[in-house]
Amino acid sequence: MRDKILKSLAGLHSAHPWKMLSFILVSTVLLGIMAIQIRHTMRWSDLLPAKDRRTIQFNKVLDEFVSATSIVVVVQGEEEKIKAFAEAVVPQIIQKIDPKDGKLFFKRIDYKQETDFIKEHGLMLIKADDLKNMKDIFKNPNLLPLLTNINTSLEKEYIQREESISTREKEDSAFMFLDGIENFIKVIQKHLSGDSVSRKDAHQSADKLLTGEEYMLSYDKQALILNVIPNFTMVNMHKVVTGTNTVQEIIDNLMKKFDGVQAGLTGMVPLQRDEMVYSEQSLGISTVIAFIAIYILLVLAFRMWIAPLFALLNLFFGVIWVIGITAILIGTLNMMTSMMGVILIGLGIDFSIHIISSFTENRSLGLSIEDSLQETFLNSGKGIITGALTTAVAFFTLIICRSRGMKELGIVSGSGLLAIMVVTFLCLPALLVLREKRLEKKIKTGKLKKITGTKDISLKILGKISSLLSKKYRLTIIVSLIVTGFLVFSALKITFDQNYMNMEPRGLDSVELQNVILEKFDLSIDYAMILADSVAESRELAKKIKELPSVASIENISLYFPSEEEQKKRIPHILEIKKSLLASTLNQSFNRTKIDKLLKELERLEMNVMEMQDMAYLDGQDKIDSKCSKITGDPDHPESINIIRKLIDFIHQHKTANISKLGIFQTYFSPYFKKTALLMCSEEIIQQKDLPDSILDRYSNKERTQFLVTAFPSMNIWQDLEFLDRFSDDLEKTSEKATGMPVIFRAIIDIVGRDGRNALILTVFMVFILLWLDFRSPVDALIAMVPLIAGLFWMLGIMKVIGMQITMLNVMGLPMIVGIGIDDGVHIMHRWKIEGKNAIYKIFASTGKAIFITSLTTMLAFGSLMFSIWRGFASLGAAMFIGVGACFLTTIIILSAIMGLVNKKSARKKQIK
Amino acid sequence: MASKIIFSLILLSLVNFSTIKTYAETITSQEIVNKMNEVINPQTAQAKAKITIITSSGKERTFIYDSFTKNRGEKNLIRYLEPKRVKGQAMLMLNNADDIWAYFPRTKRVRKLATHAKRQKWEGSDFSYEDMGSGDAFIDEYENKLLGEEKKENYDCYKIELKRKKDSDTGYSRLIMWIIKDNFCPVVMNYYDKKDTKFLKKVLIQYEIKDIDGIPTGMKMTMYNKTDNTQTTMELLEIKYNLELDDSIFSERNLRR
Repeated sequence: MRDKILKSLAGLHSAHPWKMLSFILVSTVLLGIMAIQIRHTMRWSDLLPAKDRRTIQFNKVLDEFVSATSIVVVVQGEEEKIKAFAEAVVPQIIQKIDPKDGKLFFKRIDYKQETDFIKEHGLMLIKADDLKNMKDIFKNPNLLPLLTNINTSLEKEYIQREESISTREKEDSAFMFLDGIENFIKVIQKHLSGDSVSRKDAHQSADKLLTGEEYMLSYDKQALILNVIPNFTMVNMHKVVTGTNTVQEIIDNLMKKFDGVQAGLTGMVPLQRDEMVYSEQSLGISTVIAFIAIYILLVLAFRMWIAPLFALLNLFFGVIWVIGITAILIGTLNMMTSMMGVILIGLGIDFSIHIISSFTENRSLGLSIEDSLQETFLNSGKGIITGALTTAVAFFTLIICRSRGMKELGIVSGSGLLAIMVVTFLCLPALLVLREKRLEKKIKTGKLKKITGTKDISLKILGKISSLLSKKYRLTIIVSLIVTGFLVFSALKITFDQNYMNMEPRGLDSVELQNVILEKFDLSIDYAMILADSVAESRELAKKIKELPSVASIENISLYFPSEEEQKKRIPHILEIKKSLLASTLNQSFNRTKIDKLLKELERLEMNVMEMQDMAYLDGQDKIDSKCSKITGDPDHPESINIIRKLIDFIHQHKTANISKLGIFQTYFSPYFKKTALLMCSEEIIQQKDLPDSILDRYSNKERTQFLVTAFPSMNIWQDLEFLDRFSDDLEKTSEKATGMPVIFRAIIDIVGRDGRNALILTVFMVFILLWLDFRSPVDALIAMVPLIAGLFWMLGIMKVIGMQITMLNVMGLPMIVGIGIDDGVHIMHRWKIEGKNAIYKIFASTGKAIFITSLTTMLAFGSLMFSIWRGFASLGAAMFIGVGACFLTTIIILSAIMGLVNKKSARKKQIK
Repeated sequence: MASKIIFSLILLSLVNFSTIKTYAETITSQEIVNKMNEVINPQTAQAKAKITIITSSGKERTFIYDSFTKNRGEKNLIRYLEPKRVKGQAMLMLNNADDIWAYFPRTKRVRKLATHAKRQKWEGSDFSYEDMGSGDAFIDEYENKLLGEEKKENYDCYKIELKRKKDSDTGYSRLIMWIIKDNFCPVVMNYYDKKDTKFLKKVLIQYEIKDIDGIPTGMKMTMYNKTDNTQTTMELLEIKYNLELDDSIFSERNLRR
């Protein structure tokens, strides 16, 4: 049946090559149209089973929370310049319209705190205990009593209650308070020094003391974040790309006007854009490299240039078929399947190699075009079909996997390989027939001389090496065992790289800026998220999560919307503060006595800050230590400026002149301070409707039916797997709805790891069964598998020796290498059965060369992935490069030795007989 | 706070050999804990030690300090020697660290600090004051049980479990200790989570237990934090025992010296 089909196909090619080519062209165009429709997803969550609760929750957050999918503009430079840059960039971005639909790209830009809301409800957002401690500050807004009360509060809050700065949350509030003091001192100094201080400056200084920094600035004030909230979701790839490009263009142009300012984009949207654009570009480059490298190799191997070109054209059509078929079957390419084009080039070229070499050989023997093709199909065609089916079956076993990544990889690679095989049978022979007909025409017209006779293109050196290895089979086996033993030992020690950042593209702004945010803002992007169905549930979850040892801090709506019970507890303290403030009278003037007292209070403030600094240094609180250094100087650097001492000295030197100046400053500062503080004293219970959209959007979905709780880990989750486990476990035990990168990645490690192991075992089993059926002998099947198993250990062992780790992406190379690596052993074993036991030189010189070339082409295809900026792809490319190479070497070395051993035993048996 | 912990560490590493004698096999868990409590709280001691912490931004920072103790840890004084930045900074703890004073040479002020930080993690390190069982905490706060005898860190040890008493508010649900049979020095201590009795939070191991002037002394101890996967090591550089320490050493006046 198979022979009949192959014969008919050969006949069709010989008789109607143009019709065959037309058919393939039309099919390729149709599948090409389908291929264009294919979508890319580089989201890690898309590797998990589609119905996995973590994936569902994650996608829900991305789909419903506009703030979760934003463009983050990170601006770096001097404080004043980056603030000016922010003010300049915001109006330009916000008015941008998508020309395609005439709609605004962006909804809002968050780059300042919600100062209006905080001013209206400020004290209601402070815990009752903290209110109790800080109420002294609000007693009197006049400069001298205010400074006295700040000192009293500092001594009470940060020195007496040492635990106040022992957590991230409290450290941040201490930092904010010190920042306000730094600004307060600087503004007074500026005013007294004669630099014009406007009312606005004095008001801003009061605001900083009361509500903190207005802009989203880093701790060192050298970086600023703008959160651009889009009007589109991540599903709309056109808007993801054009929206990001629009913002990029604006900031690039603006940077030219702001000397010393650097700005870049990160966040979900730019990451999605970069991941898609660069993965396509990167894979495109890898594909071109693979094509060129394979072409050069084939030209050298076959010593002709046109046939290898046909092989590549055939492969090009095949890849279009694969993508088209994938578009029909699955619709998307995920992180694992997106590399299939490159991988299938490496595997699919083998079919062409076999057909070209067989057809060329038959033609050189003088057979007609039709006979040559028929012979080629009957001899090599059957081998190609068996080989393709074996590898495809190995790939298809991945369908048993739970993870979408591995499952789709199985479908795409299995069906893709078969598609390339079909294309090879339909396209390449037609091209070869056309070429031969053209050559015949030239010979007939005398333009070309006929060349007959066979050309020995075998690889003699491989034959010689294998003969030697089989003759010295004892030594070969001993050395192989030692090397394999060492590599097994190394392989067992190979570690797993759980840090997904090590798989992300290198050198991309969107990736690099994540580190800037982590370093400057101490803000990890690797947080866990839980969706609550109500505000009450969100508060309850936040309370539980806060107690988890693996959690550093949490963010949820209760920060701006505390429970009614909590708010009621705060009211008596607020009323007390209000009463003090209302009772205070504003002083217009300053006198000498007051100045002397003010100087004493400044000295007291200096000592308080120094003591805080010393305690922070002992306790390793770097942020507090560094902020204190900005106020009282760095003790390790005596040349650093102590701004309080500078102010004290200045007032001493110009005491008389400063009396009136301080009076003026007080008239700017104190009434505003009192007015703002009184505004903050609202004892009205905050209702959900009072919250501005910017806050609600951050913590709630559009319908206000879902509320987001975000938990930040207490340490770098990628530092070790144990902590990632603990953090994920803690969150998943607290709520089944926990999701986010740490939770998802831990699940991927679990599921893909298990899938990889199961697929590896099943693939090995399936390959064994197929080989048993093929060889009709379990012993032969086992012999063919020995180099494969050894090759697998060599691969892992070499990876360990050269410092590589198993990653989430290269782990899928293990089941794949079983499907690919087995071919070498199969071809040698087949030839061995045909040639007989004493033809080792011939087997390895001839078939050895074939597997050498096919291994090299596969290695080149995988090797091209090593040039990818996508480190995950590069890790798979490197692992497979080593794996295919290792399987080739083990086939040559170990099979030669086994054959030598079997030959010796057969010879002995003959002698005995 | 830092000083309180440092001092407790020193206390733990000073084992009073004079109290040790051979016990019959019938020794009860209570007797073992009582003896251990005696040996980790010596009458008087003076030491010079080194501790390395990890700061909030992940940098290593090493301190060297002098310490003095009297009345089995009831009175403690710590004076920092290195680095230059903290030289002269000192802490005085009285009444088993219920009252703490700090001296800051930069401002030349003595301030009374908080007294309710026993359970608090000493920032940058993996120790908390409570870990060290200062005073009679291991007797008063926990019920004990002898789980058996085991070899640990090459020592023949009693394996003791301390379970938190119902009315206690201590920060750990239980502790497992391996106490050296020969000298009642706790060579390994496992600390379990306040709520989850199976969750091992920290492990303290004493190394280089040397017999100095008749007193077995852990010259080095490391606290392994299983939650954060961090560790803090403290080393004793010099130690003196059985000193006459005048009460004036433990005064506010001396703090300023």
